[in-house]
Amino acid sequence: MAAVATIFRAVTYRGREGQIAWMLHRVTGVGVFLFLALHITNIFLMSFPSDVFNSVLIFYHSVLFKLVSIFGLYLGVLYHALNGIRVMIVDFWPGAGKYQAPLWRIQLVIFVLVFVPSATVMLVRMF
Amino acid sequence: MQAQSFGRSRPAQASGPGRSGNLERSAWLFTRISAVVLLVMAVFHLLYMHIALGMDAISFQLIAWRWQFPGWRLFDLVLLVFGWLHGANGMRIVIDDYVHSPVGRIVARTLLFAVTATLIVLGAFVILTFKSA
Repeated sequence: MAAVATIFRAVTYRGREGQIAWMLHRVTGVGVFLFLALHITNIFLMSFPSDVFNSVLIFYHSVLFKLVSIFGLYLGVLYHALNGIRVMIVDFWPGAGKYQAPLWRIQLVIFVLVFVPSATVMLVRMF
Repeated sequence: MQAQSFGRSRPAQASGPGRSGNLERSAWLFTRISAVVLLVMAVFHLLYMHIALGMDAISFQLIAWRWQFPGWRLFDLVLLVFGWLHGANGMRIVIDDYVHSPVGRIVARTLLFAVTATLIVLGAFVILTFKSA
């Protein structure tokens, strides 16, 4: 399988910031895409009587799903968004390419500064 | 030397007689335009549903309340179309990266197209036809 070989090479290839940033962008992108498929299918259930939608929500209101939504979905969306901003900065301002590695580290600092307080609020609201 | 090639991920514009555009370049541009839209809308949607309302508050009744307002329906419709097409275009690139056999590509692209058409139709259908009590 090409995918297995790719994952093996990705893990063993000693790439630096750029490769890690790209890999995380792809993994979070595919993850959010798969969630979105579930999410749209789920919202389509609004076409049926209310108990259909509400009975599916038991799954969404479970502790496991809430944890996944914070440390999977929200974390993934936030990384993908911040990394996307960095990609666009470098795309439209090629001079910034020289600083892509420090830009990525700044991006990680911003990620932590945004994620930790907002995820804490989500966790507090959850329990 | 190397610095010249930094950041040149933009596919070249097709040129020459009879070539008004280049699909790959349009897809590249769409990814960035939708990214900026989603940067505002998807992040707002997530924070609004998870922090302002809270996940436990989400129910049929809550969505029905939101869809009383045409503005929310429009917001959800734009989010649906831009969000899914941004993701589908990304998946198209992922498929091209990992699926090399011609048959595999046809199967994967057809599947992606079918899922895209189905989900956008289903999503738009419920957003536009939902009857507020």
